[in-house]
Amino acid sequence: MHDRLRTYIDELFASAPATKRTVELKEEILQNLTDKYEDLISEGKTPDAAYNIAIAGIGDIGGLIDDLKRKGGSPDMDQAEMARHRQRSALFVSIAVALYILCVVPCILLSVPLGPVLMFVMIAAATALLIYNAKTKPIYTRMDDTMVEEFKEWQHNQRQGNQLFKAISSAIWAITVALYILVSFYTSAWHITWIIFPIAGAITSVVKAIFDLKR
Amino acid sequence: MSITSDLIRGHTETIILAHLMHGDSYGYKINKAIQQKTNHAYELKEATLYTAFRRLEDAGCISSYWGDENTGARRRYYAITPLGRQTYATLKADWQSAKAIIDRLIEEEETGHA
Repeated sequence: MHDRLRTYIDELFASAPATKRTVELKEEILQNLTDKYEDLISEGKTPDAAYNIAIAGIGDIGGLIDDLKRKGGSPDMDQAEMARHRQRSALFVSIAVALYILCVVPCILLSVPLGPVLMFVMIAAATALLIYNAKTKPIYTRMDDTMVEEFKEWQHNQRQGNQLFKAISSAIWAITVALYILVSFYTSAWHITWIIFPIAGAITSVVKAIFDLKR
Repeated sequence: MSITSDLIRGHTETIILAHLMHGDSYGYKINKAIQQKTNHAYELKEATLYTAFRRLEDAGCISSYWGDENTGARRRYYAITPLGRQTYATLKADWQSAKAIIDRLIEEEETGHA
């Protein structure tokens, strides 16, 4: 009988938008009808009579469907803002990459103390840009209230954390390589300077652990 | 009967709020309480009931949550908010004054004809 009531409700709400709100309202009314049906049966009604009485009590749901349509299909105003953010984000990433590439130039052109210092300043600036970019990315705003959009929002939030971690870890490795070359040339202690790489690996793992904990 | 139910339907929200003043409840339970209080003379249509719920929720008078019964039946419960309590007091006072006025008007008409 539950199936029969469900089929009836499905047909009744056929013109309603496929949103989470609609699913919940249908679920709620179906539960209500099932309760009523079971009460009528326990009062001694036949299954058919109970079904008919339950169905007859629903009334005109036109207003409810209109309400669902009004709430479900609200257009998203933030689309333009999202496009602006995407442009800004592309600019930041390009500048950061340019800084990473050019950071060896001071080392080549300038003398020893000034060159490496400038290089680290550039790396730091590029990393800061990447992190700022990842942090200020707008959260995904739903187009409507459907479950698909809800999933997209969830997926987006998951991915955002990953991107920030990727930015940080790539910065760590760029700095590690620069540090390794610099220290090795300075000290000529090539036999031991490789230790920097396992240390960098450990640092990356710690960062990842912090990220996972926060989430 | 139909005129009576039209009159009552205009006060669906007050009736729901009055019911929720005692504690959280769900759609069918509220409707059943209405049936019992009126000796089965009046019962809300589901459409009326749920339209009123949506309107009250949009207005911030009630909030809802899904209960987790062990029996497998998932019910959406409604709870009255502080704003809902205020609204209930206002609506009740409105009805009292309207009732007093209508009583007096009907009374005068009858005595006028007599």
